[in-house]
Amino acid sequence: MTSPIPRRFDLVWMVVIATFALATPLVFPPTNLHAADSSAPQVTPDFNRDVMPILAKHCLACHGPDENTREADLRLDTESGSRVDLGGYQAIEPGVSAESELMVRITTDDQDLRMPPADSHPPLSKTEIDTLRNWIDSGARYEMHWSFRPARKPALPPVKDPDWCRGAIDRFVLQRMEQAGLSPSPPAEKVALMRRLYLDLLGTTPTPEEVAQFLADDREHAYENLVDRLLASPEYGERFARTWLDLARYSDTNGYEKDRPRTIWPYRDWVINAINRDQPFDEFSIEQLAGDMLPAATRQQRIATGFHRNTMLNEEGGIDPLEYRFYAMVDRVATTGTVWMGLTTGCAQCHTHKYDPITQTDYYALMALMDNADEPEFNADSQAVIQRRESIEQEIANREQEIVDRVLLSGDGDSTLRDALTQWRQQQMDQATAWQTIAPVEMKSTLPTLTIQPGGTVLASGDATKRDVYTLTMPAIESDSPVTAIRIEAIAHVSLPAKGPGLAFYEGRRGDFFLSELDLSLGDNAIKFGVGTTSVPGAKQGDGKTFPGNVLDGDGSTGWSIPGEAGQTQRLVVPLEQPIKLDSPWTLEMLFERHYVAGLGHFRIDVTTDANPTAMTIPSSLEQELVNARNSGTITDSTQRQLAIEFLHGDQRMAEHRKPIDQLKRSLPDDVRTLVMQERPTSNHRVTRRHHRGEYLQPKEAVSAAVPVVFQSDSNLAAADRLGLARWLVSDDNPLVGRVTANRAWREFFGTGIVRTAGDFGTQSESPSHPELIEYLNAVLRDGSSAGHRWSIKALHREIVLSATYRQATGAAPAIDPNNRLLSVFPYRRYDAEQIRDSLLSASGLLSRKVGGPSVYPPQPASVVQLAYGNTPWPISDGGDRFRRSLYTYSKRTAPFAAFTTFDAPSGELCIARRDRSTTPLQALTLLNDEMYLEIADALAKQAIRDVGDPSGPAAERGIATRLFKRLLVREPNEMELNAILKFYRDQSEHERPWMLVARVLMNTDEAITTP
Amino acid sequence: MNLKQSTRRQLFASCGIGLGKISLASMLARDLSASERPANERSAGTGLHHPAKVKRVIYLFMVGAPSQLDLFDHKPKLVELEGKPIPPSVIAGQRYAFIQPGAAVLSPRFKFNRHGQSGAEIAEILPHLGEIVDDVALIKSVHTDQFNHAPAQIFANTGSPIPGRPAMGSWLTYGLGSDADDLPGFVVLNSGGNLSGGAAMWSNGFLPGQHQGVPFRSSGDPILHVANPKGISRETQRATLDLLADLNGRRMDALHVDGIQSRIESYEMAYRMQSRAPELMDFSGESDETLAMYGTDRNDAGSFAKNCLLARRLAERGVRFIQLYHSGWDHHSNVEGGLKQQCKATDQGAAALVKDLKQRGMLDDTLVVWGGEFGRTPMVEASAALGRSLGRDHHPQAFTMWMAGGGIRVGQTLGKTDELGFHPTEDPIHVHDIQATILHQLGIDHERLTFTHAGRAYRLTDVHGHVVEKLVG
Repeated sequence: MTSPIPRRFDLVWMVVIATFALATPLVFPPTNLHAADSSAPQVTPDFNRDVMPILAKHCLACHGPDENTREADLRLDTESGSRVDLGGYQAIEPGVSAESELMVRITTDDQDLRMPPADSHPPLSKTEIDTLRNWIDSGARYEMHWSFRPARKPALPPVKDPDWCRGAIDRFVLQRMEQAGLSPSPPAEKVALMRRLYLDLLGTTPTPEEVAQFLADDREHAYENLVDRLLASPEYGERFARTWLDLARYSDTNGYEKDRPRTIWPYRDWVINAINRDQPFDEFSIEQLAGDMLPAATRQQRIATGFHRNTMLNEEGGIDPLEYRFYAMVDRVATTGTVWMGLTTGCAQCHTHKYDPITQTDYYALMALMDNADEPEFNADSQAVIQRRESIEQEIANREQEIVDRVLLSGDGDSTLRDALTQWRQQQMDQATAWQTIAPVEMKSTLPTLTIQPGGTVLASGDATKRDVYTLTMPAIESDSPVTAIRIEAIAHVSLPAKGPGLAFYEGRRGDFFLSELDLSLGDNAIKFGVGTTSVPGAKQGDGKTFPGNVLDGDGSTGWSIPGEAGQTQRLVVPLEQPIKLDSPWTLEMLFERHYVAGLGHFRIDVTTDANPTAMTIPSSLEQELVNARNSGTITDSTQRQLAIEFLHGDQRMAEHRKPIDQLKRSLPDDVRTLVMQERPTSNHRVTRRHHRGEYLQPKEAVSAAVPVVFQSDSNLAAADRLGLARWLVSDDNPLVGRVTANRAWREFFGTGIVRTAGDFGTQSESPSHPELIEYLNAVLRDGSSAGHRWSIKALHREIVLSATYRQATGAAPAIDPNNRLLSVFPYRRYDAEQIRDSLLSASGLLSRKVGGPSVYPPQPASVVQLAYGNTPWPISDGGDRFRRSLYTYSKRTAPFAAFTTFDAPSGELCIARRDRSTTPLQALTLLNDEMYLEIADALAKQAIRDVGDPSGPAAERGIATRLFKRLLVREPNEMELNAILKFYRDQSEHERPWMLVARVLMNTDEAITTP
Repeated sequence: MNLKQSTRRQLFASCGIGLGKISLASMLARDLSASERPANERSAGTGLHHPAKVKRVIYLFMVGAPSQLDLFDHKPKLVELEGKPIPPSVIAGQRYAFIQPGAAVLSPRFKFNRHGQSGAEIAEILPHLGEIVDDVALIKSVHTDQFNHAPAQIFANTGSPIPGRPAMGSWLTYGLGSDADDLPGFVVLNSGGNLSGGAAMWSNGFLPGQHQGVPFRSSGDPILHVANPKGISRETQRATLDLLADLNGRRMDALHVDGIQSRIESYEMAYRMQSRAPELMDFSGESDETLAMYGTDRNDAGSFAKNCLLARRLAERGVRFIQLYHSGWDHHSNVEGGLKQQCKATDQGAAALVKDLKQRGMLDDTLVVWGGEFGRTPMVEASAALGRSLGRDHHPQAFTMWMAGGGIRVGQTLGKTDELGFHPTEDPIHVHDIQATILHQLGIDHERLTFTHAGRAYRLTDVHGHVVEKLVG
């Protein structure tokens, strides 16, 4: 369009918008510009822009990709389908609308013939019918949906005002403006631009000194230099990590009822770090999806796999753990689709997608690509922490040795204690039993995978249920004497939740187990046990969780377990009622039954032929040494010393000597165990099934891992696992990833994406406002040459903020483009919750610049978390942690930080590609009355007073007011504003802290929380 | 200023913004595109798709799942089978939270009496409900998909067991707006303990932020930050808002952006809420008779009864959806003692609310709903490890709810279950049907109140739900 739009058009245009607004979700204004433009019948409709939305809305639910709902064997989503011979005629006869059955059906007055069926659907509008007719008459060409096409680099379009353009982006933006008869706004004031740049790139405000420096800098590249400085700031990573964490549905709790804490902040810190070092987006993606599968995966690459461990974990009593694992997988598929494909795969969970070319099998094939992983914890300590721990542990060992040598083993030690040791040692020696470890020859279980480890222990991994049975086939025991007892040693293991020894990973204490029943059989004969002994303290009769007799009482609700801390190793000795020779293979059956997963994760089976064996508290290896000593008649120094150390650990009389050891133990740093993915071995491959109607309880046939058929090519058929998927997602074979990623970046700066539906690029999505611009950004982002960005997000951000488009002044959208989709003015928008708080904190001087670490608790009323389940504390942080960047605020899913929720921050329960930006009175109440913001207002006032130096006299008043204003809003106040502020200040002079009141007003201005 | 802008300015002047005052406000308060606008903009009260029977809902949510077998669904057969296992043919394939399939039958813990002209059977520990039973429809055949608390509670509120969808109250204010211009349209009250489902139960999900449910406290300052902070007088607050209006007005004059005007309006509405809150919470005007009827007093700091009275006051002030949660019904052990306690805490208040609404002529345009997230098993729950005995486990297959108020066919008992109370045998009613019916009473077709998000249209009832004609016809 080259001629200016007639003024009268405005009125017509408004009606068009109003009509569309109510009638159809598929059209948005820029397309309407075209639609209005192309209402003349001779214009050929564009298939993707004009035709596909009509087909999708009215036809494809019954004549689309879904075979199960397809009527009359007719599909209209493919060109070949539309030309199928229906018995002498076809739905679409290219070039001849009059002979196309589709036209006949949508235009007929006969209610029995009319399509869509009259009983449930309104007929097509006249405009829609005209569009379809024009399209058929002009050849009815089908084109691939724009976002599914391969990347291409469009030529820069000609514009009438090339001088306005600073780069390629501007050419595309200006071209669209010129087409619509619009022209760009003047550039923003330097000071406004600086505030905008700080808020957009760092999420904080500049200090008055930084402002002054920039304003005084009249070198040619002053702005570029500022941009480069900000891109290099560690705050940049904190700002953009928040956006990524919305997608990653990051939270510090597990979600659902109990919503207990989890440790996954090392993943959050990984994101900040990766963004700060500008890790190319392809690598950034691969490491998060499959870092564990990379050759020689580093610790950091494994921590990165926390991305898909951000799914929720239901810890409510009695849940079916596999059901919630399924939901977590559904979430992983949906999130992967949104983040890397811009496709809403969710529909295909239950049925083949009605509009987009994703079948239900495609959906589960995609799930299968990600399904073959275990979900362990992983030590995320820094090298420094690991070294510190090792050095403390060494010191503990040294000190223990030193103490026992001095007090117990040397001749001039404490004789009372030495006598006590001697007596205790004799008891141990008498009690020690000769045990023989028996490794099972065959192991079966209801679900967990059992493997034999070196040393004959059994390790469980994989999935588990609330009621698991292990059936162990044991080899015949060659011995002249009958077996008198069996010992089960539950042993901690680093692969288990909280190091085990159990498999419990939710609801119960992590690492817990519960051995409900134990059965032994030899051939067909059940061998009876007697009530045994255990090393677990306090295991008295009547204790349902520890008494050894519980495993033979036939009651599944009683059993043997290890209360107290996780990571313990303990023993259960069960005597045979009658000693018997187990000289042919025998079977041990272990039942683990609880209202949560409670299988043993790591254990060993021993047998003995000794008389009266009991469970000892000393380590079993030491017990064996005692047996050796008893047999040989000599006890080695090493055994002596180990015994003395055990005595030091456990005997009441050694309490005083233990004190320095206990103190050292308390100084051991807690190990940080973050959540990661770990690919399962091929020997234990998880089978993924299609679920009828998407329901967990309706698993059907097994599905092989693959990318959706529509995207398959010769080169990616090999994408058969998580790493293959990750590599495919960022390869040229996935046409969507660059467009989606560039669009997300655009949204961060302009508030709205080029495709407005940021998480959806499918056929139902709105058309891009700048179709060529998104192609350009896609091409340049992926371009691996020196002219391209090579997946550098910083380079993309840099290109955007250097554009003339970005540097325009803000203001109202023009009437013909009321949503400002053509960007003829810099878009006004409210900043996100975290940017608001962080910018206020930085303006006040309170902001802590510490990067990373465990999440913190800024002040909020206790009532916020009190509604959630359990007595959740909100331990308000002290010192600098009270004023950390907002992305470090502890994120609790069932009771999110109220000051953020009020400003539309997500709860971390779902992948969010696009936050809402509402305006509500609750936001006003928060910024006005929340103690957290009052504290900031007070600090801001005090900082301004300190800055000015002399807090008395009218000149000082002006100075303080100006300083306050500038710290917050960056620009100088004008005279009228200043007078209004000073009048308020003087009116409030009776108040104890009138400058705090002034700061509070300014923090509540629209300008403080919106784009300058 | 062009026509477009002045039109929008006029609208602002006439209708205010935020908290879903009317649904149109949701369009104006933010940059909404066509796809996010409500399907229809008729003002509240007349219904969105058909004439509304009621203007508002008070939903008494009994958190933890009350035992229908001990309160409503009288099964003499359970006495006969006491101590014996449930036939495997009945229990096969069912999933339970805690008990094992072999669990024995537990007989009803209380005596049942018939009440009112309808002769409805209700346990003796609900005497107050007995008094109003002719104003109530009992529904004994409700069933759900979920057998754990959090998912079932979220399911009852949002139509999905996974957090993230908009709550029923959010859908209602989105579709209908609210008649209150100084209170939120969707208010949440709580008593008895904290909630398994958490904030997901009053989340706006993907609907615009102003449709978030707002938790109220039942004494003191009802809304977070509604009171002026210490040291800030009403005059100072007014002066603050005046200066803000001045500074924001200057920016508005310079930029002509609608969003600035919305912000100005939002601060004025916040100020009105600050004025309204103390009046709302001032119970001094309630008569002694009224307080006694509910079983509360002026100093009561947060009982269910007090919340029932507060609910009536919120209803009078135009709040669209008032949800009272009361926890404490999860009786895995000692179901008898637990029920006695909870019925004592809730029976009188709930019945008084219905009576009070009726005597004030408000029951005709208010829908009162009572129910939990699922029912409880005919089988006994006992566990040595957990120290439990004589309890009942979760039972999603059948449970009882009741409804009262405008347009409901009261004085009836709808639905039947088998002789064990295990499965519905007549008129099975799914949670999605309950949701569809509530929307129907407000003039909303549950299939047509949709919101396009992430590539498809969503609705409260997902792809399910039927209006229960026998309840409303």
